Amino acid sequence: MTFENRQVICVDQVVKDFRPGLGLRRKRVLHGVNFQVQEGEIFGFVGPNGAGKTTTLKILMGLIRPTDGRASILGRDVAESEFRDRIGFLPENPYFYPFLTAREILTFYARLCTVPSKRCADRVEELLEVVNLSHAADARLRTFSKGMLQRVGVAQALVHDPEIVFMDEPMSGLDPIGRKEIRDVILSLRGAGKTVFMTTHILTDVEMICDRVAIIVKGAIRHQGRIEAFLSDDTASTSIVLAQLPAETATQLEDDYAIEMRGVGDRVELTASAKDVGDILGLALSARAQVVSVTPHRHSLEEVFLTAVQEEEGER
Amino acid sequence: MNSLMRVETLAANTFREAIRNKLLYTLLGFGILMIGAGVLLATLSYVEVDEILQDMGLAAIRFFSAGIAIFVGIGLIYNEVERKTIFTILSKPVSRAEFLVGKWAGLTFTVWLQLALMALAFACVSWMAGAPLGFDHAVAISLIGLELMVIVAIATFFSAFTTPMLAASFTIGLWMIGHLSRDLRSLGEQSDLNSVATMADGIFQFVPDFEVFNKTLEAVHGLPIAASEIQLAIVYALGYTVATLVLASMIFNRRDFK
Repeated sequence: MTFENRQVICVDQVVKDFRPGLGLRRKRVLHGVNFQVQEGEIFGFVGPNGAGKTTTLKILMGLIRPTDGRASILGRDVAESEFRDRIGFLPENPYFYPFLTAREILTFYARLCTVPSKRCADRVEELLEVVNLSHAADARLRTFSKGMLQRVGVAQALVHDPEIVFMDEPMSGLDPIGRKEIRDVILSLRGAGKTVFMTTHILTDVEMICDRVAIIVKGAIRHQGRIEAFLSDDTASTSIVLAQLPAETATQLEDDYAIEMRGVGDRVELTASAKDVGDILGLALSARAQVVSVTPHRHSLEEVFLTAVQEEEGER
Repeated sequence: MNSLMRVETLAANTFREAIRNKLLYTLLGFGILMIGAGVLLATLSYVEVDEILQDMGLAAIRFFSAGIAIFVGIGLIYNEVERKTIFTILSKPVSRAEFLVGKWAGLTFTVWLQLALMALAFACVSWMAGAPLGFDHAVAISLIGLELMVIVAIATFFSAFTTPMLAASFTIGLWMIGHLSRDLRSLGEQSDLNSVATMADGIFQFVPDFEVFNKTLEAVHGLPIAASEIQLAIVYALGYTVATLVLASMIFNRRDFK
C-alpha cells in the first residue's frame, strides 16, 4: 500500500436505527453506509437535508453509536477516544461558551488536546492569524457574528494540528468572502498533507475543491468516486444569447432545430444541443444578429446529485 | 497525567461558567440573609440564645448550599448537550467519564467556595453575637462540604440522562429521603410485618444517608464528635460519590448525541 492510497477513514456497512419516541418502533436512518477515504484527499460527503450526512459524521466522531457495521479512523474504532488528538472536528453551526474570548476558547481546546503549555500560546496566536481573528482575539464570543464563530470553529478543529479534519457544512451561513477564506484553509490543509472530510450540500464548493465525492440519499450511498468521474468532458448543451435577431430568422431557428426561445428586451436566449451550435450561430450572424454569449454546459455533479435524489423519490 | 490535565481544564471551565449563574448569587444572598436573621430569632428566646443562633445558621448553610448544588448541578450536562458544546469537547481526546468528572469537580469546587463564604458569614454573626466558635463548628461545616460533594454527584448523575426538571425532582427527592432514611429504617424496625422492615432496610441501603454528615447538634451544644465519625463520613462521601459517578458514566457512555 503506497502513501497516497492509505485508507484513513473506513466506514463499513454502517447501519443506524433511532427510536423516534418512547415506543419500541425503530426508524432506520442509515442503511449499510460504506465508503473509504484516502490519506491526503479532500472528500466531499454530499446529500440533501435529512440524507444522513450528519448522522454518519457523528458516528465517526463517536457522538452516536452505530446499530450495526463498523467505522474506523486511522485504523482505530471510532468508539475509542485516545486517538482523537489526531483528528479535528468542526460541527455545523458551532456554539461555544459565550463568556470566553476567542483566545480563551482556543486555549481551552488546546489544553483538552494536551498541547504542551509552551507550544499552546504560540499555536493559538498562529491560528487566530490563519482564520483572520487576531483583531478580535480578546472579544467575548457572545459578540461574534455567525461568520466569526464559524472561523473560531475552524481554528478549534485545527488547534492540535490534526492529521484528519472533519467539517460539517463548513461554508454554511458564510458570505462569499467567508466561503473563500474557508475554502483557502481547506486547500492549504491538503497542501500540508492533511485529509479533509466535509459534508455539504453546496455542490459548487465540492466541484471546486474535492478530490473524491460520495452522494448519500435517504441513508444510502448512491454514487462515489473521483470528482472527475462526475464531471463529463462532453458538452451536453449550450446556452446562446443573441441580440437584434430578426423575427423571421427566429422562427426559422425554432422550426429547423426544435428549440425554444426566451426573449428579454431585444435579446433572446436559446438552449441548443452541442452539434447544432455552429449552424445556429452561422444563421444568426448571416441575419446580422449579434452574439452576446455562448455558454457550454457540461454534465455536472448537480445533475448526478439530482438524478440520484429523483431516483430515490421514484423508488419510494 | 494527560487525563488529569483534561479533567482540570473541564473543571476550571465549569467553575467559570457556574459563577456566572445568577441563581447561585440569589441563593447565596438568601443563605447569608438567613444566617443574619438568626440574630433576630435568637432575641425571641431567653434561653439558649447562642444555640438558636448557630442552629439556624448551620441549617441555613446546609439548605441553601444544597439548593445551589442541586439547581446549578441539574443543568450541568443537559445544557452542554442542548447547546451542542459537547460535540467539540467529545471530538477531542476526552472520554465521556473524564467529561463527567470534570463537570462534577468544577461544580463541587464552586459550591465549596460558596460554602466558605457562608461559613465566613456564620463566623462573623457568631462573633458579633458573642456565641462560642470552635473546632466542632469547623467540622460540622466541613461535613456539609462532603454532603455537597455527594449531592453534586447525584445531580450530575441525573443530569447525564434526563431533563433539568426531572433531575431536580429526583435529586431533591433523594436529598430529602437521605435526611430521613434513618427514621425510615427505625419505623420499619418497629413494624410487626417483616416485609415492611425488610423494605425499609432495603431503601436505607440504597438511598444516601445524609445524616452521616449532620453534626449540627454536636457543634451547637458542644458535644464531642468522635474521630471515627469523621472518618466514616469521609469514606462514605468518597464511596458514594465514586459509585454515583461510575454509574453516571456507564449510562452516559450509552447515550447518542443527535
